Amino acid sequence: MNRTRERVGKAELVTSRPPGRRSGPWRYRLGSFALLIVLLALWEVLPRVGVVAEIILPPFSEVAVALWTLVQTDFFLEHFTVTLSEIGIGFALGTVIGFVAGVLLAISTVVNRVTYPFVVAFQAVPKIVFAPLFIAWFGFGQTSKVVMAIVISFFPVLINTKVGLENVPEESIRLMRSLRATRFQVFRKVSLPHALPIIFAGVQTALTFAVIGALVGEFVGAASGMGYLLNLYNFQLRIDRVFAVIVILAAVGAFGYFILEWIGRKLIFWRADEI
Amino acid sequence: MLPSVSSQSTERRSERSPVIEVLGVTRVFAGATGEVTALHDVDVTISEGEFVSFVGPSGCGKSTLLNIIAGLLAPSSGSVLLHGQEVREPSRKVGFMFQAPVLLPWRTVERNVLLPAEVFGGDKLASTEKARAAIDLVGLAEFTRSFPHQLSGGMQQRVALARVLAYEPELVLMDEPFGSLDEFTREAMNLELFRVTDAARMTVAFVTHNIGEAVFLSDRVVVMTPRPGEVAGVIDVGLERPRDISVMHDRAFSDLVFEVRDILGGKR
Repeated sequence: MNRTRERVGKAELVTSRPPGRRSGPWRYRLGSFALLIVLLALWEVLPRVGVVAEIILPPFSEVAVALWTLVQTDFFLEHFTVTLSEIGIGFALGTVIGFVAGVLLAISTVVNRVTYPFVVAFQAVPKIVFAPLFIAWFGFGQTSKVVMAIVISFFPVLINTKVGLENVPEESIRLMRSLRATRFQVFRKVSLPHALPIIFAGVQTALTFAVIGALVGEFVGAASGMGYLLNLYNFQLRIDRVFAVIVILAAVGAFGYFILEWIGRKLIFWRADEI
Repeated sequence: MLPSVSSQSTERRSERSPVIEVLGVTRVFAGATGEVTALHDVDVTISEGEFVSFVGPSGCGKSTLLNIIAGLLAPSSGSVLLHGQEVREPSRKVGFMFQAPVLLPWRTVERNVLLPAEVFGGDKLASTEKARAAIDLVGLAEFTRSFPHQLSGGMQQRVALARVLAYEPELVLMDEPFGSLDEFTREAMNLELFRVTDAARMTVAFVTHNIGEAVFLSDRVVVMTPRPGEVAGVIDVGLERPRDISVMHDRAFSDLVFEVRDILGGKR
């Protein structure tokens, strides 16, 4: 290879931005921040001037104070960890179950044909109807909430795993076939990595679903947890504390989601722009 | 072993033992409007070290034939012999290069080239060395650690070429490998392919609908016509080796191109 050819080779390089980085310019972040300030200001001002009653929407500053005092109470940490562990265990188990079931449905025609109608029928049922049942079966403790979180969160992982594995480019499969690769090699080296972005999107959805599952379980019947606190303060009309709990739950959900997104970008670096 | 670049005389393509024998192969597909005969009674032999092109318009069954030779598709009747053994499934002695590069986007250039060796198992150190040599040969030595999305279409196809070269198959099948590239890149890739196959004395079956490309690269051009897909004629390309782009301005070259055109035109 002579010099000129080498130079041509270099010029052929697509000079796109490096993979894995997609946050917009600082201007967008500044915009988001400005919007946050405006929203918080409205939250503060509207109740104060009487546009909305303070009992319906306490001003932001009062919620902030309520949040601060709530976090410092001696019972808060216990309730917080109860809900957090329900979410964590439910999410982890739901993801594993969804992934395994999705793989089975994708690789076995028999399993798919026989069980898929049931899977779809099960998904058509609004899962909340099971909440009282789970309380009856598993009691007021954490188990019923974990089960609820699993039942709600496994499905997006299942369906995304199945769809992702079924939509591997035909040519990649043909390449592996021409190399006489085993089914496991095709799965391990081609299908699974190809499906990973879609599977991961399902996992992200599963996290938000797990939060819903745990809280729904706690609403229906619990002696502790953030859902229990939310219910309690609602009955006591301590709306500032209700909002404080909501803010904490929103923070938990958002934090988990961004963590997952960060992991996803590291894991699926080759198409960071498309997730 | 990947041999170094050297020139060969035309005699090297003289009668050698056949690598592939296609014997009376017919392939019928069940279509929406009844059966379609994609290939009808095709006989072709490709000998060791020979570069044979299959050229013809869309629907002449040239890609179907290649898939049958690869063992990816079964013939409806007739048979294909690889070194005298009937082909019933894909063989690791046969390399396949597709129209698309079919690279795995999460693997670097080197790891893509190593894929066949990984699937086969065996000595990692030796296969890594072979992969590096193959990447070198296609001129991508600087891009060993690049990912496919960082490369242009032409470079990606070179990676695909290196992937085939690295595991040294006895026969390489190419299904319009440069069909999706622009004209300039395509010409550069053809020169590259000629250099590489000529140096390594590779046995190649090459499918294309570009007559000039077929004549430039080949020892023999198999001209195929559609409905049903049949061999309309076989042309021996007697052009000197090594060849470069100036061959295309020779009288002999244009005579051969016209000869192919005549055979294709005779069917219509």
